[in-house]
Amino acid sequence: MSQPTIERDERLDPVTFEVLKNAFTTSVDLMAEQILRTCHSFVIYARDFSSALCDRDGNTIMQGSQDIAVHVGTLHYKAQAVIAQFGEDIHEGDVFLINDPYLGGTHFNDVSVIRPIFTGGEIIAYSQSNGHWADMGGTVPGSFDVNAKEHFGEGIRIPPTRVFDRGRYLRDVARMILSNTRAPDSTEGDLQAQAEATRVCEREIHRLVGKYGKDIVLTAFEAVQDYVERLTRHRITQLPNGTWETEDHIDFDPNEGEGLVPIKIKLTIHDDHLHYDLSGSHPAVGTFLNSCFGASTSGVMAGTKTFFPDIPLNSGFYRAIEVDLGELGTVVNAPWPVAVTGYCSGPYEKIMNGIFELWSRIMPERAMAASFNLEYLLVGGRDARVADNPYFMWYDWMVGGWGARNGKDGSNCSSPVFGVGLAVQPLEGQERLAPVVTTGHHIVTDSAGPGRFRGGVGVEKGGRLTQARSAVMSYCCDRARAVTWGIDGGLPSIPHGAWLNPGTSDERFLGAVFSNVPVKEGDVFTRPSAGGGGLGDPLEREPRAVCEDVADGYVSLERARRDYGVVLRVVDADMDEYEVDQAATHAERERIGAERRGWLEEEPEGVAARYRSGELDVHDLVRQYGVIVEWGDGTLLPRTTAKFREMLARRAARHWH
Amino acid sequence: MSSLRVAVDVGGTFTDVLVLDEETTATSVAKVPSTPADPMRAILDGVAAAGVDLHQVKLFSHGTTIATNALITRRFPPAAMVTTKGFRDVIEIRRGTRDDLWDAYKDVAPPYIRRRDRLEVSERVDYDGDVIEPLDEEEARAVAKRLGRRGVQTIAVCFINSYANSANERRMKEILAEEIPGIDVSTSSDVLPEIFEHERFSTTVANAVLTPLVSGYVDRLGKALARDGYRGDLLLLHSGGGVMTPATVRRFSVRLAGSGIAAGAIACRHVAMLCGHRNAIGLDMGGTSTDISLVHDGEMRVTKEWFVEYGYPIIFPSIEILTIGAGGGSLAWIDEAGSLRNGPQSAGADPGPACYRTGGDSPTNTDANVTLGRLGTELLDGKMTLDRQSAVEVVRRDVAVPLGLETDEAAQAVLKVANANMADAVRLVSIRRGYDPREFALVAFGGAGPLHGADLARELSIPTVIVPPNPGITSALGCLLVDVRHDLETMYLRRVENARLDEIDAEFRALEGEARERMASEGVAEEDTSLQRRISMRYLGQWRSLAVEVADDLGSLDEAVERFHEQHEREFTYSRHDAPVEIYQLQVEAIGVTRKPNLAREEPRWHRPVAYDSREVVFDDGPVATGLYRREELHAGAEIIGPAIIEQLDSTTVVPPGVKAEVDEHLLIIMSIPTEETR
Repeated sequence: MSQPTIERDERLDPVTFEVLKNAFTTSVDLMAEQILRTCHSFVIYARDFSSALCDRDGNTIMQGSQDIAVHVGTLHYKAQAVIAQFGEDIHEGDVFLINDPYLGGTHFNDVSVIRPIFTGGEIIAYSQSNGHWADMGGTVPGSFDVNAKEHFGEGIRIPPTRVFDRGRYLRDVARMILSNTRAPDSTEGDLQAQAEATRVCEREIHRLVGKYGKDIVLTAFEAVQDYVERLTRHRITQLPNGTWETEDHIDFDPNEGEGLVPIKIKLTIHDDHLHYDLSGSHPAVGTFLNSCFGASTSGVMAGTKTFFPDIPLNSGFYRAIEVDLGELGTVVNAPWPVAVTGYCSGPYEKIMNGIFELWSRIMPERAMAASFNLEYLLVGGRDARVADNPYFMWYDWMVGGWGARNGKDGSNCSSPVFGVGLAVQPLEGQERLAPVVTTGHHIVTDSAGPGRFRGGVGVEKGGRLTQARSAVMSYCCDRARAVTWGIDGGLPSIPHGAWLNPGTSDERFLGAVFSNVPVKEGDVFTRPSAGGGGLGDPLEREPRAVCEDVADGYVSLERARRDYGVVLRVVDADMDEYEVDQAATHAERERIGAERRGWLEEEPEGVAARYRSGELDVHDLVRQYGVIVEWGDGTLLPRTTAKFREMLARRAARHWH
Repeated sequence: MSSLRVAVDVGGTFTDVLVLDEETTATSVAKVPSTPADPMRAILDGVAAAGVDLHQVKLFSHGTTIATNALITRRFPPAAMVTTKGFRDVIEIRRGTRDDLWDAYKDVAPPYIRRRDRLEVSERVDYDGDVIEPLDEEEARAVAKRLGRRGVQTIAVCFINSYANSANERRMKEILAEEIPGIDVSTSSDVLPEIFEHERFSTTVANAVLTPLVSGYVDRLGKALARDGYRGDLLLLHSGGGVMTPATVRRFSVRLAGSGIAAGAIACRHVAMLCGHRNAIGLDMGGTSTDISLVHDGEMRVTKEWFVEYGYPIIFPSIEILTIGAGGGSLAWIDEAGSLRNGPQSAGADPGPACYRTGGDSPTNTDANVTLGRLGTELLDGKMTLDRQSAVEVVRRDVAVPLGLETDEAAQAVLKVANANMADAVRLVSIRRGYDPREFALVAFGGAGPLHGADLARELSIPTVIVPPNPGITSALGCLLVDVRHDLETMYLRRVENARLDEIDAEFRALEGEARERMASEGVAEEDTSLQRRISMRYLGQWRSLAVEVADDLGSLDEAVERFHEQHEREFTYSRHDAPVEIYQLQVEAIGVTRKPNLAREEPRWHRPVAYDSREVVFDDGPVATGLYRREELHAGAEIIGPAIIEQLDSTTVVPPGVKAEVDEHLLIIMSIPTEETR
């Protein structure tokens, strides 16, 4: 198992090094344990949090092994912001808060609690607990205001702020912040839980200092970062040099009307380091789907880390990866005071999936098509089931399908790539807390992008409002138009987007981003999550596999024929028994193979008209014709369609025989 | 006449039998190879090997991995699920999370029941228990007929909010029973009347898929034992650390999952208590993994959050055990950036450590132990020979040379890293619960536990290490010691100030009635049954709850709330006296006490035993001539000052230099580890 060209750190003996490295991991994992057991926010409980041990300069020594991806690569910025602000004025027993995206944070809801760790009167490290608070105030419950263009009014911005002064809780400062949220008491519970978690880490570090001495521990802080950097560079060296480029899209920019919004990613591998260039990306958009440097860097780091799953996360990893976000003012490098709260559904997902695509070419053995887009649906109002009509928030996010992989289908029903530890909520709990009866929570047939390997399937969840008053609904998602795509000949899945009163005369398609849409008692809402994109030509999928998918209802009989050219005979529907009609399948595949390139060139308005008349459905438009319309009324979106067809030509048609 | 108690623990590799004669307190043991295809065969073989006449047996208790293995290998009979329309995918959606956060190619296992076998019916109950849509009986009957045609043998009925009102589930069960005579049906409101659909459904589905298999196994075994003369009830160890009878197994078969693992923890508790330690950490170290358990103030830690396979929780109380991938066979390796790592990959039994000479060519912890002389070259009374030269060679080649160390130093480095990893795991188990490991004794067992126990204790500043008489069959001892135990609960979601004592008392009484019924049906006498009420509470808005014990005659809830604050403070280092507290569940733990066996006891007479031989063993300060002792020759009162090696059939105990090892009246080895201050 040993490598011939091993370099190792000579400052520490191998045992001390390995023992301390693992002890640092334990110290941050203990923080995670503590948070999980004591938090109040259901969002934190659902694992939207992270923990880190940072060195005295703020660099990350170790990040929690079960942390949410989206915080990766941002915790050192936050620690450094605290250091920059307070400098010498940091004392034992102090604790600081920060959530500022313009200083390297992600969005307002992600609040870090940072504690300096002292030994002998000197700071040796910082412990940090970062968690998503359910509400930060602002105009929209949950603080996700899609239409915000600037951050004022989105929620409370916390620059580095002292909240414990030498062990004394600064209640006035805390209340000043908490009073701006919709649930000050339980939010204070989270603040305390996080502050306690940082103390758990402090205690562990003090134990290590007691056992090994300050100098050894300080050396190990550096050595652990150097180790990860060495490991990362060693892996990169084994890859070919070269440059790879791609482009992914946000649905639209209201400043410019319809038309996909490009995010460009260029990756260069040069010997032992990676260089990412995101310049040329579109200017910041007129919704809150923008991101600042911290979050965009995080997307790059987390996307890359997916291809090096076993490398521990710390600043050593970040040192081997150079990120150029390009000019200030773009959707991936938004300046103050541009609204960025929706970064997670916007640029973040596009950066990660774009990076997956690039690495799929470099490491085909770990290839993966696009995965569904992170989505948050929020219904807030007054709960009239209870006497004093308290405020309720039905705040929900779903699983969806992940991209198809090389040699196997995508994962069904998985948490978003943005944070695979993010757990969906139990509807039985939600029904107690809000006047909403869940109408269903189930897999969506035909939601998976077809391919030789299909994407994972997505799901659908919706509800009916019962005794709700003054209720509004908001939605933070994307990819109603830039539909989750396949690679290497694979096809897209289905559009995201929420529907109000589906199947009735009041039916409305609300799109994938909206806020404060009034809803009332009796209204029914629902939305699907996309499946993953397909990988490889669907006409080459094993007919048996399609048959099995039909038996399980992942794929319908109809789409088995249209997407895969697989014709099945029903043996016994009651028993879910089907068999492949070999001859008909062969003929159908021949026909589709001969005609499909032509479909992608059919006149779009004609296709849209056939959609409006009910002759074609959404799957036909997305997968066969590459035509994107307003899904509610069928209005053609010509610029979006042109770009989408370009994308299909590149990712799908080019790879078909 | 019938004075024998027999305990059988079926493990992956061996089936262990422990026989205790209650009159003479004589014990005998047998270890036979397990027969995974039909575990019963090994049990009967083992009973025969131990020379037991089943006519003479009073109590036969059994820990089994059959349920756990069935869940892992998914060898189930045809099974189906019936659920509320719109919710058949709850168990496939799970909570959506993945076990491996970063590896996109690692998947969570699929649900235990395929999607095509999950059928829906129209019905709906709301959060408050109101039926907002009655069960559509016509649909229900059609579903039952379809499942009948499919030949399913067991069905899980899982309806939304059934914890609040079970009527629709019960009616569905009746219809299934009418349409498919003899079918096994598990309803979620019966198996686990608790809020949160995925957790309840998942537990119920696991119960359903296991029912035919597990109850069939229990029936067959019961019959076989009866045929050979056993007249009592077969007692089966469940995950909660108690036993249940075959009648209960049929209803709660999922409780047998985790059965085997609980046995070790129970034995650890018993052994620690025997020598007066109410706080103990159990270290059960085998070839590929180590199970760590914790006893505090005589109580085992119990968790309701566990699973056999990630994503499919089983929400029955289970002895809390942390299993880590560190064992004798764990590989030592150097990664690309020059760090010395240990595990989690293991050479297992095949190809095995290099010193086995069965194809293994990489250094393992066992090889490091052999290299240093801590492990001898003859094991199992000479039935197995280890090749020291092979061990030395791989340690030299793969660790010493790349790191520029001497071979002995390299072997020590390997063990230090392995011990530090285990120590981290112990810290996770103890410190995160607010316990200080220094206040605990370490009970080291399993084949490899006693080899590492003393070093690990030193790493953790634990002053005492206890090695049970037969470290390799300690789990069977756990099976021998258990009581009948049931855990019952009901949801009672209410803020403390809105709770009504009469209501709470009525709920408790109902649970206790049910508990007594279960005990009676298992033949436990009323006077042997003890019941403990618990209220689980949380701060309003919190997601997890903590259970506190309460007295039967509650004057008010004040004391319980106070205890909740205290416990919260201890476990989570803070409490919030000004925050509103909410009751979550009412729980009753029912214990049917079985008579505890008297284990062998010898009058201790202080003496210094004489080593039968010696060899060179490497410790921290280099090689030392070290005395070798045979465990079976050590009597109560023996005192050995390390360095020493104590060998026995199924394990080797290392006594490092300066450590005192004493043999107590129960023939336990008790090592006193000098702490930093006393050294």
